[in-house]
Formats: sequence, C-alpha cells, structure tokens
Amino acid sequence: MEGQKTAHYKHGTPFQKELKNWLAALPFLLPSIIVFTVFIFIPLIRSIVLSMYGTNPIGQMTSFVGLKYYQRLFTSDQFINSLTVTLKFVLYTVPGVILLGLILSTLGNIRLKGISVFRILFSLTIAISGATAALLFMFLYHPILGIFNYLLSLIGVSAIPWLIDPKWALIAVAIPRIWLGTGFATVLLLAGMQGIPEEYYEAAKIDGAGFWQGWRLITVPLLTPSLFFLLVVTTLNAFQTFTEVNVLTNGGPINSTEVMVQSIYRSFYFNGQYGYASAQALVLFVIIMALTIIQFGVLEKKVNYE
Amino acid sequence: MKRSLIRILTVIILFGLFLQACTPAATKAPESATKAPEVATKAPSSEVVNIAFWHAMSGHNGEVIEELVKRFNDSQSAIVVTPTYQGSYDDSINKLKAGLQSKDVPAIVQVYDIGTRLMIDLGVMTPMQSFIDKEKFDVSDIEPGVANYYSVDGKLWSMPFNTSNPVLYYNKTLFKEAGLDPEKAPRTWADVTEYSRALVKKDASGATTQYGCSFAIYGWFVEQFLAVQGSYYVNNENGRAALATEATFNGQEGVDLLTWWKALNDEGICVNLGRATSDTKKAFDSGVVAMTLDSTAGLRDRIDAAAGKFEVGVGFLPRSEEADYEKSGTIIGGASLWITNLRPQAEQDAAWEFVKFMSSAESQAYWHIQTGYYPINSAGYNEPDDVAWRAKYPQFQVAIDQLHMAPINNYTAGGLIGVFPEARQTVETAIEECFAGTSSPKDALDKGAKSVTQAIVDYNDNIGQ
Repeated sequence: MEGQKTAHYKHGTPFQKELKNWLAALPFLLPSIIVFTVFIFIPLIRSIVLSMYGTNPIGQMTSFVGLKYYQRLFTSDQFINSLTVTLKFVLYTVPGVILLGLILSTLGNIRLKGISVFRILFSLTIAISGATAALLFMFLYHPILGIFNYLLSLIGVSAIPWLIDPKWALIAVAIPRIWLGTGFATVLLLAGMQGIPEEYYEAAKIDGAGFWQGWRLITVPLLTPSLFFLLVVTTLNAFQTFTEVNVLTNGGPINSTEVMVQSIYRSFYFNGQYGYASAQALVLFVIIMALTIIQFGVLEKKVNYE
Repeated sequence: MKRSLIRILTVIILFGLFLQACTPAATKAPESATKAPEVATKAPSSEVVNIAFWHAMSGHNGEVIEELVKRFNDSQSAIVVTPTYQGSYDDSINKLKAGLQSKDVPAIVQVYDIGTRLMIDLGVMTPMQSFIDKEKFDVSDIEPGVANYYSVDGKLWSMPFNTSNPVLYYNKTLFKEAGLDPEKAPRTWADVTEYSRALVKKDASGATTQYGCSFAIYGWFVEQFLAVQGSYYVNNENGRAALATEATFNGQEGVDLLTWWKALNDEGICVNLGRATSDTKKAFDSGVVAMTLDSTAGLRDRIDAAAGKFEVGVGFLPRSEEADYEKSGTIIGGASLWITNLRPQAEQDAAWEFVKFMSSAESQAYWHIQTGYYPINSAGYNEPDDVAWRAKYPQFQVAIDQLHMAPINNYTAGGLIGVFPEARQTVETAIEECFAGTSSPKDALDKGAKSVTQAIVDYNDNIGQ
C-alpha cells in the first residue's frame, strides 16, 4: 500500500506509524464509537453510579450509600437463589437446544424431494415471540384443563402441577425456551452443514463409511465453529431469560423460577429499589463477561476452523 | 476471518444483553403522552384542550371505558380526551414512573387502590380535594366507604372510578346435584369446608373429577380476609393514623386463615391452581370447581361464560366465624383517577371536567351494568337502567350489600404503604411456602412480615421520613 511505503521511506518510528494508522481508522470507527457511547457506555456508567445511591420513588438519586447494595446482595438469600435458578435454567435449556437443533438440522440436511418444507417447519419457532409461546404453554399447562395433563391421564399418569409445584416450575418454564430455541439452532447448524463440501462425503463413501460414520467424523468436526457460536449465544440467551418466566410464573412459586433478570425486574419496577437493581445488573454483567472469556479461552482451542 | 466474525457477534450480543438488563427504563420509554389526538371530527376551535388519559382496563372493560370517553368527547366541544391502554395496573404505574423522569406524563391516570401511598409520595399529583374545594363540588353522592379508602389526612387524593369487592362465586347447578340449597351460599370458613366435602367428586380410579373450591394465591384475598376479621395489615392502624413502619399481617388472624386454606387443599376437597385468578376462573367456568373467589368486577364475565351451562350464585366473602359479620367488613378494591400536576393548569382543569363526568351517576350506572364494578356514585343505583339490570341479575345486589354492610373504619380503609406491590408478592410467596409444607403458616408469615417491614423501613428512609 502507498501509505506503508511512504512510512517506510521516511523511516518513521513504530509509534508514529501506529498513531498514523489510528488516525486513519478513526473516521471509520466514529459512527460505532458514537453509537456505543450513547447506548452502552453512558448507561453503563449511569448504572454504576446508580448502584451506589439511594433513590426516591421516582428513581432520582438522593443519598450516597457506597457499596451497601453490593454488601446486601452477597448476603441475601434471594440473590443466591436467583443465581442458582439461573444456572439451573442454563443447564436445563442449553444442552437441549443444541441437541435438538443438531438432530433436526441433520434430518433437514438429507436430500429428499420436498425437504425444504420440513426445513421451514423445523425453523418456524424463530418467528414466534417468547411472550406468545409462554401464553400458549400457559394454556397447555393448566392443571385441570390443560392438554398436557389430559395426555398424561390417557397413559395413566396422574396430573402434574406444572407451574404450581416448586419442583416442576423451572422445568415447565424451560420447555418453551427449548422449543423456541430449537428453530434458531436448526437454521444455524443447517447452514453450517450445507457449507461442508460434498466431496468429503463422497471420498468417505468410497472409503466405505456409512451415514453415521460420515456424520460423526465429517459433519460434527467441521460444524464445530457453528456449534461453538450456538453454545455461546444460547448460553447468553439463557442467562437473560425473562419473558417466559415473567408470563408463566412471575418468579414463583416460592421463587423457584426467579432467574436473575426477573429478579432485577422485580427490584427495579415492583420494589422501586433502583440502586439495588443496578447492582444486581452489574453483577450479572460481570458473570456473563467472565463466562464468555472462559468459553473463548477454553473452547476456542478445540474448535476446528477452516 | 470467521474467528473474528464470531468474536464480534458475541461482543455485540453481550452488550445488547447488558443494555437490556441494566436500563429497562431507557428501553421501555412510555408511549408519547402528548401525541396529538384526533380532532378532525371536532369543530375547529382554538379553545380545544387536548388531554391524555392512561388506563389499565383491557378486554370488555377496556371497550366500555373507551365508550365512556367517546361519550364525554361527544358531549362537549372544549375538551378532547385521548384514552391509551397502558397494560396492567402494574405496567401502567411503572410507565408513569418512567415517564416522570422525562416529564412525559398524561393529565389523568388510572391507578390501582394499593398505589395510593406511592402516588402521594411521588409528589406530582394534584389532590382531587383542591378541585372539589375550589368549585364547592357536592361529593355527598360518593359512597362514603369508597371515599374513605382514597382519603389520606382528610383529603380526597384521587377520584374513585372502578370499585369492587371480593365475592364468593358458586355453581348453583352443582349445589343442587350435591343436595345443597342453591340459594344458600356458605357464610363461614366452616361452611366452605363442609360444602366442599359434599361437592367433591372422584371417579372409579380415585382421581378427582370435581373440586369443592379453588382460591387463587392472590395477596388481595389475604388483605380482605384480614380486614373482615378486624385485623390490620400494617401498624399505625393500617398506616392511616400515622405512617406505617411495620407489617402486622402475621398475627393470629393470618395464621388461622392459612391453616384453614391449607387444610382445604390437603384434604383434597379443594385444589390449588396457583397465583393466576384467570386459572381459577377458567376452572370455575368449566364446572370442575364449584366455588371460587374473585372480584365483583368479573361478575358479568362469569354470568356470560356460564350461560346455558349452569347458574352462577354469588355470596359474601366467607368469614372466619358468623360474629365477623358484626365486627368488620371488606376493603375497597379497584382503581381511581389521578390528576398530575406536571401538566398546564388548563389541562388539569379539563381533566377535572372529565373526572366529574366519569364519576357521574349516569356514567357509573353504565359502568356498573357493563362490568360488575359497583357505582362509586350512590345516585347511580337510581338510574332506571341500573334498577332494571339488578332486577334481572340479583347477583349484582350481593356486592352492593357487602359494600354497604362494611363499617367505615381503618380496617376497611385498607393498608396504606408505598411498597404494597412488593408486599403482595411477598405474601403470595409465604402462602406458597405454607402450601408446599416447607414452612408452617406462622413461620411463613413471620418471614414475609420481616421482609415487608424491611421494605417499608427502606422506603420511608428514601422519602426522607
């Protein structure tokens, strides 16, 4: 490039070179810097400030309280509970979504006449909002009139108090999330599968590999970038779950479904504890940040990039 | 290349999540309250005052409220009211709080009963009393019990609009089948237990096909059950004599209530369907549950849903014992209309005109017939339509009787605390703990009361009391 050549001839120090590159890049970065500042950095700083202040009922800061909310947070059963519930929710949903997505995308990848109809069917849940799905399941879960318990009664299983029993509620909330997430997972993995060159399979066939061997030794390894991306996104999504919980249980019974965002929502809106809610949100942010770094650090090494 | 793409995508999603988690107020800005209403049909006039009205009535009740607004707009040409449905009572008050930060608030907002203390403490409301005093407006027709609920320190802060009570709904047809007198609703807790035993039905395999009763785990019912026993929810006479500083719902009255309620479920004659009143209503409408508790506001819906299937009976909220009927009464439920002081005086005056219209005998009678909320204006009962309606559906009379039976005191005035929505949820969790058997009724309520007391103390600190 011309610029590099000039720099070379002028024998500029590495620092000057760096600076020059930065100045050249700045105009291109400016739009995103502005957007990030307005929508992310300013709210972030505001949240940090708010988490150290007492507020009046409208949410205006009144008195400085230091780290009181953080102190309360880490000694509160409610916070520990919401943390546990969130982790459980992640465990209930993430493997399910990935597994179902993998199965459906494998089926969708089979070359058959009319397969595109099935591909659309498999990915249809992308078009459904969390609130709609939750309302739908609310009808299905009705302890007396719901279809789930009716179906169970046909095979002689006694009714399950889906959303009423603290032992069942989180599972009941996880099911619609898995159902919803499967659509996106299928689309993503199917796209990944279609990016795998056909020749690999042909070569494997010549070597005598069957469908299962081809899937295990070619599809899955070459799919790892997609799978890794799916894992990260699904985990982050599971951490921010709110809609299904809010519609189906509102965090109950006995806080058994009170995931972190629901807890933040309750503190902020219902309880009017704006500072405390901000502290909760920041802790959630740090947890997710840490988790993402770990995921990149550990898992990325095992990901097979083309 | 792909590696960096994935990294960038992840960072974007991560930040998106953070933004969503930390700043719900920023992302959920209220719909513009100052949106210009449609005035095309009005005669052009420079004097026209446009005001925004936020309400929380959905479904049929929402249609009725819009019809009332239309009647008001058609009745004169100086004021145009634009109604906006803002979601549930909780959503609506939260949008108001968010709107206050950006000074984006309507002239009138409908707020639920338990938001009263909070609304006063927000400090942005013009008390209804100042309009009443200025105009020497005659308020003698407003139901005294209702006015009592919305009066704090001798001032009527908001104009009651939709007012209700909890009543016991029962299935007369199932009563007959079970050999019970369909004209005699249970009056006491013991009656409910006894009737439920008669009403429960099991099939050959032992599975229950019909339950005696089902009451939603709804904090409002607890508040009512305490009031009818002559018991305070919070100290300082429900926060009416002085600012409340402590929750007191964990007394013997609360323990007795939970003990009885849990026993009904444990015996299998009643069923716990969770917190949603919509689920108990559905079960009642389908005839699987013979008795349920709900607001009088649902009466019209119950009658419509049961049409052709069974006959709906309405009874008083069951009391712990017959003597309770002499002691105390139910609390006013529902919502009222508030005028905000952040809008220009002309808008506030226009809002007052609208409030007067909404509380008039005619409007209230129409509202009563259409919904089941009883008229806050006692002259509403004399409207010919209302008289005819009650003759056709005597069930409506029960709610009115229950209202008029209740003595006016600080039990029936209800609790006055700024953290009521939180308290209600805490009580609901306590009930769940008790039903699940993880805590005794006493322990569950004690724990709940401790948490609510803490919330009250924090709240009082924050408003500088």
